[in-house]
Amino acid sequence: MHRRTFLSYTAGVVTLPSWIDVPQRSRIELLDLEDNCCLRESVAGYSGVLADVGRAARRSVLIVPAAARIPAPPMRTIVHSLQAGAVVILESGTGFASEQDFRAHRDALRDSLAVRVSALVQLWPRRTPYVDYSWPHAAKLRDFSRVIPLDQPTGETIGFADGQPVALRRQVGRGTLIFLGSPLGPALWAGDADAKRWLLDVVRS
Amino acid sequence: MKKAIGDNMIPREWGLERGLELIKQAGYDGIELWLGDVPWFQMATSDSDVRALRRNVENAGLVVSNVSTGLHWATPLSARDPAARAQATRIVERQIETAVMLGTDAVLVVAGLVTEEVPYNEVYQRCLEALQPLGDKAARAGVKIGCENCNSEQRFLISPREFSQFLTDVGRPAVGIHLDVGNIHDTGFAEQWIELHGPRITRIHLKDVLKHRGRCGDQSVYTNLFLGDNNWPAIRAALTKVRYDGWLVAEMEARYRYAPDQQFYDTAQAMDRFIAGRL
Repeated sequence: MHRRTFLSYTAGVVTLPSWIDVPQRSRIELLDLEDNCCLRESVAGYSGVLADVGRAARRSVLIVPAAARIPAPPMRTIVHSLQAGAVVILESGTGFASEQDFRAHRDALRDSLAVRVSALVQLWPRRTPYVDYSWPHAAKLRDFSRVIPLDQPTGETIGFADGQPVALRRQVGRGTLIFLGSPLGPALWAGDADAKRWLLDVVRS
Repeated sequence: MKKAIGDNMIPREWGLERGLELIKQAGYDGIELWLGDVPWFQMATSDSDVRALRRNVENAGLVVSNVSTGLHWATPLSARDPAARAQATRIVERQIETAVMLGTDAVLVVAGLVTEEVPYNEVYQRCLEALQPLGDKAARAGVKIGCENCNSEQRFLISPREFSQFLTDVGRPAVGIHLDVGNIHDTGFAEQWIELHGPRITRIHLKDVLKHRGRCGDQSVYTNLFLGDNNWPAIRAALTKVRYDGWLVAEMEARYRYAPDQQFYDTAQAMDRFIAGRL
């Protein structure tokens, strides 16, 4: 099961609130994987800033919080959104999932998006509590204890935790995929202003 | 006011029956039962065994003052892992269920734990979200949840106004404060906490504190009543001022090295003097 929440459509399905400046034909969408979402507070975190995302976005945005298994229908939504030119923020939640769910998640990322990830890493104890992002601006954002690292750093890597690549930005079709191996949604939910600023810069870019 | 002491104070080798006898002989009115901390009261203890536990307590001439637990230190309501949070919630639910079975109306909860890993803002939000439905459940059961002020150990809700705001944000009358007058250390004064929280106090934990030691050293900051730095006349006066007439529950961290039963008698006598105001 999954649920799609649209902040705005300009295709006539939902009337765009006048105070949200979203370009024509853009839409801001939260794809809640429900039973396949590992962190409900991540959904709450993104939901809480969705209106601000709508104001900041220059393109359509699809956010997938704390994903575990990504079944075929939502994966099709992700791929179609990328092909249509959207920014897709795909957050892995499998640090809090079963081993089977992690394997399904890893395989789906590899097969559908050519994103290769390694097994869960428990970050703590560690010296500093941050993930270091280099794009769209340099930012130190709170880790969420467990990360799903990318299998190797590349030019697409935009975030590191303890030297391990944990976030990437990749052009896919006309769109941009942002993969987050360290959940950001809970920080948004807890009111982290830096996390929100970083997210808005991502969709603004 | 009535006197109680925790069953986790009973020397392990004594067992419950001998412990209950000691508590009664020492002059206490009741016993605080610690879910998960003693062999006779675990999460897996069946309902029928909980009812048998109540009979044992009452046969000894005592009643249950409240249900506490130390399980939330390892499994806090503020854990990042949803599975750990679910278990933490289940612990509180079991406290509420057993409180009803044991004939008491209060449970003690260590609400959240700020660590280097899990920051304050997350802990605050998670505790709110956990305690609101738990407060509703407690209200339906006729039980109050007392969040304990474990100021230094929790690194959470350090000041009395902060704690008060938290309870206001929880917004459930069944969620109050289990106020430990020994836990405030050098960040404040117990009598001010009592005055500020007044009717929200569900139970009082009594112990004394050596404020100059702080919590980071290798020696316990806690000590027996009247040996430390608490201003006991001021604490007694504050309780009178807010008309607190409920349970006083002794919670001693340091144990007597010899004659452990003597600590029960000494503490009960100190509590009598405290209640009588002969300070």
